[in-house]
Amino acid sequence: MQQVGGIEQVSVIPQEPPEEQQLFADTSPGRTVKDAESIERSAPLISSVTPVSTLGGCAIHRGPITIRGSVDGCWPSYVEINKHNVAVGRNLCDLDLEEAKRVCVIGKVIVDRLWPEFPNYNPIGETILLNNRPFTVVGVFEFYEREQDKRRRQLAQEKANAKATPTPTPAKKRSGRSSRSTPLGNIPFLAKNSTIIIPISTMMFEFKSASVVGGVDQGPNLKLDALTFQVADINRFQEALAQVRRILTETHRTVEDFAFSTREEMFDAIEQNIHETRMSGGLIAGISLLVGGIGIMNIMLASITERIREIGVRRAVGAKARDIFVQIVVESAVIGFIGGLLGLIASAAMMKLLIYISPGKNAPVVELDNVLISFGFAVVIGVLSGLYPAWKASRLDPIEALRYG
Amino acid sequence: MPLIELIDVVKRYKIGEQEILALDGIDLTIDQGEYAAIIGPSGSGKSTLMHLLGCLDTPTSGTMLIDGIDVSRASGNKLSEMRNQKIGFVFQSFNLLPKLTVLQNVELPMIYAGVSARERRERAMVAIERVELQNRVKNTPLQLSGGQMQRVAIARALVNNPRIIFADEPTGNLDSRTGANILQLFRELSTGGCTIVLVTHDAKIAAQTPRRIEIRDGKIVDSESMDPLLSGQAQLTPTK
Ligand SMILES: Nc1ncnc2c1ncn2[C@@H]1O[C@H](COP(=O)(O)OP(=O)(O)O)[C@@H](O)[C@H]1O
Ligand SMILES: [Mg+2]
Repeated sequence: MQQVGGIEQVSVIPQEPPEEQQLFADTSPGRTVKDAESIERSAPLISSVTPVSTLGGCAIHRGPITIRGSVDGCWPSYVEINKHNVAVGRNLCDLDLEEAKRVCVIGKVIVDRLWPEFPNYNPIGETILLNNRPFTVVGVFEFYEREQDKRRRQLAQEKANAKATPTPTPAKKRSGRSSRSTPLGNIPFLAKNSTIIIPISTMMFEFKSASVVGGVDQGPNLKLDALTFQVADINRFQEALAQVRRILTETHRTVEDFAFSTREEMFDAIEQNIHETRMSGGLIAGISLLVGGIGIMNIMLASITERIREIGVRRAVGAKARDIFVQIVVESAVIGFIGGLLGLIASAAMMKLLIYISPGKNAPVVELDNVLISFGFAVVIGVLSGLYPAWKASRLDPIEALRYG
Repeated sequence: MPLIELIDVVKRYKIGEQEILALDGIDLTIDQGEYAAIIGPSGSGKSTLMHLLGCLDTPTSGTMLIDGIDVSRASGNKLSEMRNQKIGFVFQSFNLLPKLTVLQNVELPMIYAGVSARERRERAMVAIERVELQNRVKNTPLQLSGGQMQRVAIARALVNNPRIIFADEPTGNLDSRTGANILQLFRELSTGGCTIVLVTHDAKIAAQTPRRIEIRDGKIVDSESMDPLLSGQAQLTPTK
């Protein structure tokens, strides 16, 4: 969750201007670097902002290796806004921007794919080609992974280390294997681990100064592919949005060709999701209880037919109908009790497993209330499903019960 | 005062449209301390009569007093109480609970009498000693012979000190020697003051009891009570 960016992150997205503005819609330049500069200058409620101009399907060369990827031209604040961390080297800086330097910061997956022969290679100072233009690598992002993958990797490493220490000499090529194959980051982070950023000024000069459509040069393409900012104080979120809206209305010459995409919706969706998961969890629990109850009832009914004779004997020596009823209900409750106990043991084991495989902040929380409630439910279900069999048993005619079987 | 008194007791069974007159106007008294056999051919109504006497069922009509209590219209709970406190049963097929030990089987009636665990144990041990099974206390019925099982059943019937013991074909599932032992035990209990009513279709067994109540087609045809001293001759002189 932390690695995708928080609720304070907002994107300015293009939208079709309203009907009445169609006539002068062309007067708006769309999202440009100027927007970002204006926001940075005039919006105190915004802590940082970055324009992004993307070069998709870029050919990335290093020696004999060519891969394809997407390159973002941006400001240094891109790193903060998108929750990146520079692990080795440095971030882009204002000087890179001013002088439109050919420098880049690249993701760990890009490093691993460009230098596959060297695990954990440090490429700082190396030159790579982006669409045949040389760029110097000045920084590498940290490797992003899910908490559980991280934990698994660390455990594997510890084990490997522990094994390695008593026998240090046999340095076969194998030993490098575990650390070399950085797993292709799992789906949410593959894109993030493949990030390449360059100064947006460099992007504009090198790659966006001409845009050829159908063999005709349309002139420089200064429109941004993304414009993202971060609200300083989440409690003044709406206020901050209004501030940005005023500024952009100015720079877009009153054309409302932009909108805000907030993470709020995403968070709402997640919340909804969690809610639904809980609901369906409850539903599943309910159905399980129902099925379990029917199971107990069947067991009790079967055990009663098996024990008709016993019931007859008990009646003959003085058991009242009520005594038989109570006996069956108690037995059924005991089944529920034992079932509940087994369930608790099983869920304690499951919990251990879940804690082991899930990220730290997602670890399941066990509340005493829930434990008691579910245990109580098991007993109650036991009692309830014993009622009908107990009623049947208590109504058996003693003489016929004695004669049975 | 008679222990049991039946006046014009009728029992009808209805199976669909058909009505079966299982007992057809029974008049009978059994006194305290008697040892009697109900005898008659199969289907004559012996078991039905014993079920009524044993408070397992109520008559269709007529009056039935047990120990001075009118049970002919008694509720289920009242009948349970009577069975628990005043009556002991011995069945042809023993009817012990196979998963309980001998001791637990004998304790069973006292559980429903609300006797404390300690007293249950003590009284059960006394009853078990009376049938001479004290070294089988921890066994389960399946580990016992038929005769031993029937002894356990007798101990169970005795344990609540009932006013009367009913035994329905108690030797029916036993070989003749074991059966004779069981009958010997009944005789001893009778001598000790117990009231016992046997149900049997076997004239030889009935011949061993001081009194025979002969039943045919739901009617008592002979209810002689003979002086034990005159046994043998007295068989011919009904004393109704
Ligand atoms: N529960 C019952 N339902 C219908 N008929 C019964 C029932 N119990 C006994 N009878 C009938 O009553 C008659 C007497 O039966 P029973 O008392 O068992 O005779 P016995 O024990 O002398 O063999 C028989 O005709 C039997 O079929
Ligand atoms: Mg019978």
